[in-house]
This record gives sequence, structure tokens and C-alpha cells, in this order.
Amino acid sequence: MTLEKKRILIAKPGLDGHDVGAKVIALALRDAGAEVIYTGLRRSPEQIVRIAVDEDVDMLGLSILSGSHKELAASVIERLRIEDAADIKVFVGGTIPEEDFETLRAAGVRGIYTSEMTIESVIAEIDSQLS
Amino acid sequence: MSDAPPLDRRRISRALTRVANAPVAEVLAAIGDSKVQPAFRIGITGPPGGGKSSLINALVQERLSPGTLDTLAVLAIDPSSPVSGGAILGDRIRMDAIADLPGLYLRSLSSRGARNGLCDNVVDLLTLLEVQGFDEIILETVGVGQSEVAVHEVVDTLVVIVPPDAGDSVQTMKSGILEMADIIVVTKADMPGARRMASDLSAVLNERSGRSVPVLQTQADGRGVADLDRAIDAHRNSIVENRTEETTRESRRRYHLRALADRQVEEALRANPEITEGTLKASYDRLLATLRA
Repeated sequence: MTLEKKRILIAKPGLDGHDVGAKVIALALRDAGAEVIYTGLRRSPEQIVRIAVDEDVDMLGLSILSGSHKELAASVIERLRIEDAADIKVFVGGTIPEEDFETLRAAGVRGIYTSEMTIESVIAEIDSQLS
Repeated sequence: MSDAPPLDRRRISRALTRVANAPVAEVLAAIGDSKVQPAFRIGITGPPGGGKSSLINALVQERLSPGTLDTLAVLAIDPSSPVSGGAILGDRIRMDAIADLPGLYLRSLSSRGARNGLCDNVVDLLTLLEVQGFDEIILETVGVGQSEVAVHEVVDTLVVIVPPDAGDSVQTMKSGILEMADIIVVTKADMPGARRMASDLSAVLNERSGRSVPVLQTQADGRGVADLDRAIDAHRNSIVENRTEETTRESRRRYHLRALADRQVEEALRANPEITEGTLKASYDRLLATLRA
């Protein structure tokens, strides 16, 4: 794997308190060699963007189960632009209905990873985004 | 807070990444030899799960409270996986109360294989933060046992935390990291045994070393942290009186040189695997020749 020295932020925005999926992804990324920063629960888009900038991450994953993925992803991506950090790639994981994929991609989301995908394929996609 | 300009977070964090991943020659070019004003450095160390991150969460609020410092940087080191080399950097989970403070810059670091509780380029990163003009730096080590005392060499004030349930492990810590402590904090002081732990530590350390090491108690809700804040300032004042700035600069320069030399040797061995061939003497001569080249 080529994720060595890559820095990836796994963030939990919004109000849902379930982070098993976020932790599974974080561990799989670590096992692929990445340095994974985990925010903990219930962070605002402002906080997440500040963390992404402070930590100088290559990629930012939003784990969202609350259904507000469109609003939260758009808000984070807009704030990254304002902070001159639009080069940080954003992906979204969680329960995302397929009819929302188009909207998310149009907003600038680079990857959408649902619970139907295997962990291996998620890591492989992240790996190809970052190489 | 004064009316200091806001931190240029993007620039600072980019600079840290560059230095963290650069070969020694580039590091030297980046941090230069400018005589920067050394920042006051506080080290926080102790066993895994002992409450280091929670303590920093509370301590930073005290250090950055109105009328005190303008800017403070925290470097928090977590261990890398010896298998994959990757790392989970989770110190922020317990640092939510300080997430929005404008004067704070917080960076999580992987130990990247180092075994001394730090990471091998931590001095480069500390120096870079000083170049960026931070007033104060807090360094959180990896959760350590007794022997990871290197942090002592890179900070001004070393705070060693001990949870009340540390039990017998304190016996072994007595020779080692506890001897290096400037301040000891018994965390989770609402747990049974905390007061006993504090008085035992106080008795043993102050009797044996002949110096007076404050032993404080703190709780996760922030109780006791104002005392720690004052104890840190008191220690800072005592070292300003007893140690000249040249002494600090000299001993840090020595540590920094050793760290750079270690990395240069690592780089040379990785780039030239043939160095290790033949007798030990031949390998050694080849290594020195490679370093000189």
C-alpha cells in the first residue's frame, strides 16, 4: 500500500452518535499505512475544517448517518474553499441513498462509500485518489 | 487576548508537513540558523490512558485565558503501528473544549517508529513552531513506561502524570521518568486511592531527591488544574533565575544535533545498503565516508 505518510482526517459531523463505521475505516486506513486523525463525535463543519487545516491532511472523510449528508458535505467543502484548502479531497461514508450521489459529486465530493462496499474496495479507492 | 493577528494556520501546517517529511539537508534550510526566541516548552508525559489528553484539554484553557498568552501550540504524539507504520491519532477526541480557541494551534503526530516516547524529528518541529513565533508549546508524549525520558531534554518544565490506579507500576517509575519530573500530577483524583498515591509519591520523591517536587491532584472536570497552571509558572520562574538562556540553548543544540545525526545515519543506511557489507570496521569506515560525502 502507498498510504505511508498520508494524513487522513475521519470526522463525525452532525448529531448522530454512531461511530462504529468511522472507527472501522480509521483502523483499515491505519493498517494500510496512513496516519489517521479522528475527531470524535458531533463536530461542526467549522471545527472539522479547522482541524483539517491544522493537521494538513491529504483527505477528509465525513461519516454521516443522520441523513443531512448533502448539507454537511456542501458546508465543509465551501469552508475548505474559503480557507484556501480546496486541495483537501473530501469523501463521504455512511447511509447515503443512491439518488443523492449526483448532488454530492456536483458539490465536490470525491468519493462516496456506503456500507454495501467492502472495506478493501474503499481503501483501494482512497489509495487511488491519493496516488 | 490582545489584538494579535490571527494565526495563519494554513501556512504553519504546510511548513510543519514539509519539515516532517524532508531529508536532513532540507530541514536545515527550512528552519535555518536564525536566533529565534526560544518558546517556553511544557512536556506532559505518563502511562497510556492516564489522562494526558484530558489534562491538556483543561490546562490549555488556563494557559490561554484572557490576559495571559496570545498563542500556544500543542504537539500531541501517538504511537505508530509497528506492523503497518500507520497510526490512529486520537488525542483530539478528549480535547473538544479547546477546539475553537483562536490562539491555539494543535497538531497530532505519529511517533513514526521512534521508541523514546517522541518522534525522531520532534526537535525540528518544535524549532519550526518557535520560528513561527508561538509564545508557548505543550508537547504530549506517547503513553510511556519508565524509561522514555528523552522528553526531559527538549522541554523546560516536565509534568509527569500518574493515575491513582497505577499501583505497582509506580514502583518501577520511581527510577526513571519520575526522577525527571518537575511537577507530578495524580489524575482522576475523584477515584479511590488518589490521595494516598499523591502522599506516597510526595514522600518518596522529596525524601530521596532532596529537591521539592510539587505533587498535585486533578480531575477530569478541571478541578486542580488552576493549581497546575500556577505550579508551571512557578517552575518557569525558578528556572529563569537558576539557568541562563545560553545553558538552555546549548543543551537543546546538543540534543538537536544528535537527532539530526541519527536521521542522517538512517538516511545513509537506507540509500546505501552496501554500507553494511563486510567487517564491522569496513562498514563503519564506509558509513563515515558516506556521511562526509
